[in-house]
Amino acid sequence: MSVPDYMQCAEDHQTVLVVVQPVGIVPEDQFFKIYKRIASVSQVSIRDSQRLLYIRYRHHYLPENNEWGDFQTHRKVVGLVCITTCGAAKDWPQTAERFHGQKEVYSSTLYDSRLLVFGLQGEIAEQQRTDVAFYPSFEECADVERRVEDFVESIFIVLESKRLDRATDKSGDKIQLLCVPFEKKDFVGLDTDSRHYKKRCQGRMRKHVGDLCLQAGMLQDALVHYHMAVELLRAVNDFLWLGAALEGLCSASVIFHYPGGTAGKTAARKPSISQPADASKRHRPGAQEVLIDPGALTANGISADTSTEIGRAKNCLSPEDIIDKYKEAISYYGKYKNAGVIELEACVKAVRVLAIQKRAREASEFLQNAVYINLGQLSEEEKIQRYSILSELYELIGFHRKSAFFKRVAAMQCVAPTIPEPGWRACYKLLLETLPGYSLSLDPKDFSKGSHRGWAAVQMRLLHELVYASRRMGNPGLSVRHLSFLLQTMLDFLSDQEKKEVTQSLENYTSKCPGGMEVITLSDGLKLPPVPFTKLPIVRSVKLLNLPASLRPHKVKCLLEQNVSTASPFIYSPIIMHNRGEERCKKIDFQWVQGDVCEVQLMVYNPMPYELRVENMGLLTSGVEFESLPAALSLPAESGLYPVTLVGVPRTAGNITVNGYHTSVFGVSSDCLLEGLPSVKTSGCLVEVIPSLPRLQLSTSLPRSAHTPQPMSKEQLSSSVSVQLFNGEEQQLTITLENIGSEDIESLELTSKTVNTKDKVFGRFLSWDLEEALRHLPLKPGQTVTLSISIKVKLDFSGQENLLPDLNDDGISVTGLPISSPLRQLLKPRAENKAVSSESGKAEYSHIKTLEAVLNFKYTGGAGKVEGYYRELSLGVHVDVEPSVFFTRVSTLPATSTRQCHLLLDIFNPTEHELTVSAKNSKDLVLHPSECQRLAIQVDKFDFESLPQLYQEPASFSSPKQLEEERQHAQGCQINSKLDICWSIISLQSDYRDCMVA
Amino acid sequence: MAVCIAVIAKENYPLYIRSVPSQNELKFHYTVHTSLDVVEEKVSAVGKSLADQRELYLGLLYPTEDYKVYGYVTNSKVKFVIVVDSSNTSLRDNEIRSMFRKLHNSFTDVMCNPFYNPGDPILSKAFNGIVSGMMVQTS
Repeated sequence: MSVPDYMQCAEDHQTVLVVVQPVGIVPEDQFFKIYKRIASVSQVSIRDSQRLLYIRYRHHYLPENNEWGDFQTHRKVVGLVCITTCGAAKDWPQTAERFHGQKEVYSSTLYDSRLLVFGLQGEIAEQQRTDVAFYPSFEECADVERRVEDFVESIFIVLESKRLDRATDKSGDKIQLLCVPFEKKDFVGLDTDSRHYKKRCQGRMRKHVGDLCLQAGMLQDALVHYHMAVELLRAVNDFLWLGAALEGLCSASVIFHYPGGTAGKTAARKPSISQPADASKRHRPGAQEVLIDPGALTANGISADTSTEIGRAKNCLSPEDIIDKYKEAISYYGKYKNAGVIELEACVKAVRVLAIQKRAREASEFLQNAVYINLGQLSEEEKIQRYSILSELYELIGFHRKSAFFKRVAAMQCVAPTIPEPGWRACYKLLLETLPGYSLSLDPKDFSKGSHRGWAAVQMRLLHELVYASRRMGNPGLSVRHLSFLLQTMLDFLSDQEKKEVTQSLENYTSKCPGGMEVITLSDGLKLPPVPFTKLPIVRSVKLLNLPASLRPHKVKCLLEQNVSTASPFIYSPIIMHNRGEERCKKIDFQWVQGDVCEVQLMVYNPMPYELRVENMGLLTSGVEFESLPAALSLPAESGLYPVTLVGVPRTAGNITVNGYHTSVFGVSSDCLLEGLPSVKTSGCLVEVIPSLPRLQLSTSLPRSAHTPQPMSKEQLSSSVSVQLFNGEEQQLTITLENIGSEDIESLELTSKTVNTKDKVFGRFLSWDLEEALRHLPLKPGQTVTLSISIKVKLDFSGQENLLPDLNDDGISVTGLPISSPLRQLLKPRAENKAVSSESGKAEYSHIKTLEAVLNFKYTGGAGKVEGYYRELSLGVHVDVEPSVFFTRVSTLPATSTRQCHLLLDIFNPTEHELTVSAKNSKDLVLHPSECQRLAIQVDKFDFESLPQLYQEPASFSSPKQLEEERQHAQGCQINSKLDICWSIISLQSDYRDCMVA
Repeated sequence: MAVCIAVIAKENYPLYIRSVPSQNELKFHYTVHTSLDVVEEKVSAVGKSLADQRELYLGLLYPTEDYKVYGYVTNSKVKFVIVVDSSNTSLRDNEIRSMFRKLHNSFTDVMCNPFYNPGDPILSKAFNGIVSGMMVQTS
């Protein structure tokens, strides 16, 4: 006996074994259909008695095992059911012959047999035979179960007669010695008359009778017989049989204590029948009449009165005793090398009992013992079976890790190098079953929470094995999935060398079968979720970027206000704060524009020790149609944070949500959703996309400059120009506007703002005429329009006190009257600081003044205009102003006419060029660089005081200071118009009007 | 003395595992991992009867052909597992107990470190030194 039946359990001792086999040609599916129907008759209630007969069916049973039937009768094949097909009457003799041949195999033990013939009709089929049943086809066999029941009853009759026969055998001398196959030769030549031998025969027979009683449904009698057998056999040190007797005792006690069975397959036992049956077992007052007085056999004075109720409680082992006796029995079996299978099976049975008793630790000891039982040379298949069953039993007692360990060993056994055809499929299947034992799930989501905590070393090994097994199975898709999982979840535990190896093999596999995001469903229904590579590269933050300033849409004010007012009637409400919800869902307060390229900035880093190539990296969005423009990047080894900008174009308007990004690394494409990445920082992913707006490009006639007006950041300006002018000079700036978008520009506005004005600017700095340009509207895409802007600078350079000493050092004597009345008020500040710079060179720039202004083009068109959006394009204008002409002193002299006077102006030229100054009623005065000359102008006198009030309401000025300024301005204009002083630099051919007098 | 020493967190994942370098490390991982079944079983069995007055030392968890596995569970359900060579018969139960006590003391020191985050792998040099002391002596 070499093949253990690992499925055996204690209650199998009370079953009778029936083998069901096909004879001749029987389709397998039909055979198993019939087999199932036969097997459904697993217990039969015997007529005229309250006993139950349990039947165990096998469709395959080694005759070799049958030889152990005397040792434990449940191993004995007592019934044979053959199933055959027979098409024609002429085949019948042959079929019958085969059936008899089959019977021969088990002839030594067989009580009865049956043949079920399918397909035969006619006169042969009509003859009534008890051992043969004819059915026209596999479909028309309604009474199979009934036939089987009859068959079982006939077996019972034989069993019962045998039991009675053996039990009543009072001739102590003639008791035959039962023995197991390997003992037979040991007893040759033994003295059969010795007392020792007789006792041995008695003990073994007692044990046998106990077995038969148990099978025949007489539990109490069985217990009594077993007890007696134990006593007898113990006395003669017949350890193998003592073990069997003890085990029988245990089995009977288990059946008594656990009527539900220990195999865990309770469904096999019909509770409706077993319940009354059980009750009948316990209270069966009249059931003992068939039993002869066992006292008749007690030659050595063992008296056991089985017919009394007291006997039962005494005979039955307590749950604790069952285990002790099992232990004892196994230790006896252990003495015999040839009884390894018996020992192993006993261990398995004991474990099942312990599992029911929930004594896991003791069960594990039994299993530990079972591991070491040597059954000699096992075939690979048997090894696999053995490890699998060990795993199953460990699972049964709740040792999941141990169970996983053995399952893995079994899996490895499937593909042992000694096996000519390795069963990779089976190996893979078994490996998958070990996953829970190693607390490993194949869903990467379970690993996203914090750092991985588990047995990384063993888990990694398992994953490697899964990868390998799936590859050998010829399923590269699976290997890629497992390998991706390994890389993603175990990255922290892989050494640099391992990382390299894993990625290399991953690349190898993906060259054949690229990895994707689809769920892989295995044949047994297990689903392998996709593994997105969120760690290759690791993304730290996701930030949606606003459009560049020139492309940013602005909402027309009134519409915006309307929006706000409809949102809530309250100016402030704390409830809004609570409703804000998750940060990610928060709407970002800028807009993207349909049709324009939008950017999202990711901060990524590469955790790998070598360069990481990420291909096809793009955005995953929802809400609007979005055309993602994938990027490829290459991250250096263990890079720090590295900014990556992903771009895309929204194709429709609406709210867009950036859900994540997709990458393709090592040939595995993954969709990484932000919601699964708690470590990613983001300031919100929802943005509004507004309908498309036109785009304007601007070019100017003046050179571009790097200067930006101070309060504006560089990005706010689309471009800026710079120009250098002398004070009072005027220059034209030509701006060409081109529509480079896809929408018509329907409206255009231009405003200017002077920034950075510490100095007071006189007159209009920038002036233009938009009418001409507006006539070209709407501006079709690709069309241009030009606009001319004049830049004019008038600044007060008088405030530079430090220049005054320079003037004096030059030794220029300035003579004249002190400033006299009408002009005094106006020129008062000048009296103190007459600013002139005679120095050229390094001091030159110190007195250059800067004027900056921003030209704002507001334009709109297309669908965006309907929604009330416009765009702004800003042009920075940067002007460096150099001083031109200084009036260092002003005085008046009475003229010949009383209505006129001579205005004497000391004019200084701070430039490096020759300068001509002209005025009304006066001839040109030529000034060389750094020269100061006096100009006399004859002017009409006029009343200064009355002027300003004429055109300005005093009430419109808030403070006296403002009033004063305004008056000065008006007065300045008056003087300018009277004097009309102009200067020009001949060398530069510039001729501009001076405005210094203000 | 020991060939492998492991500290296992309450949630049954390893905080620290170290084995003699000469042998297959993975094998010890398997040994310690499967020993947790027995530890759990023992702890749950004891937990029912004497919740507070529990003996921390669990004794021999299971013997294998080559090794003996001993267990120890702190009151906070942190497990210590020591694997010793079966051939080392001179080792007495008391010595194993004292090894566990030493280990426990050192572990307490690790936990007292304000910069140590409970649940993180133990990287303490002092702890490592204690473990080395227990392993080096015979190997």
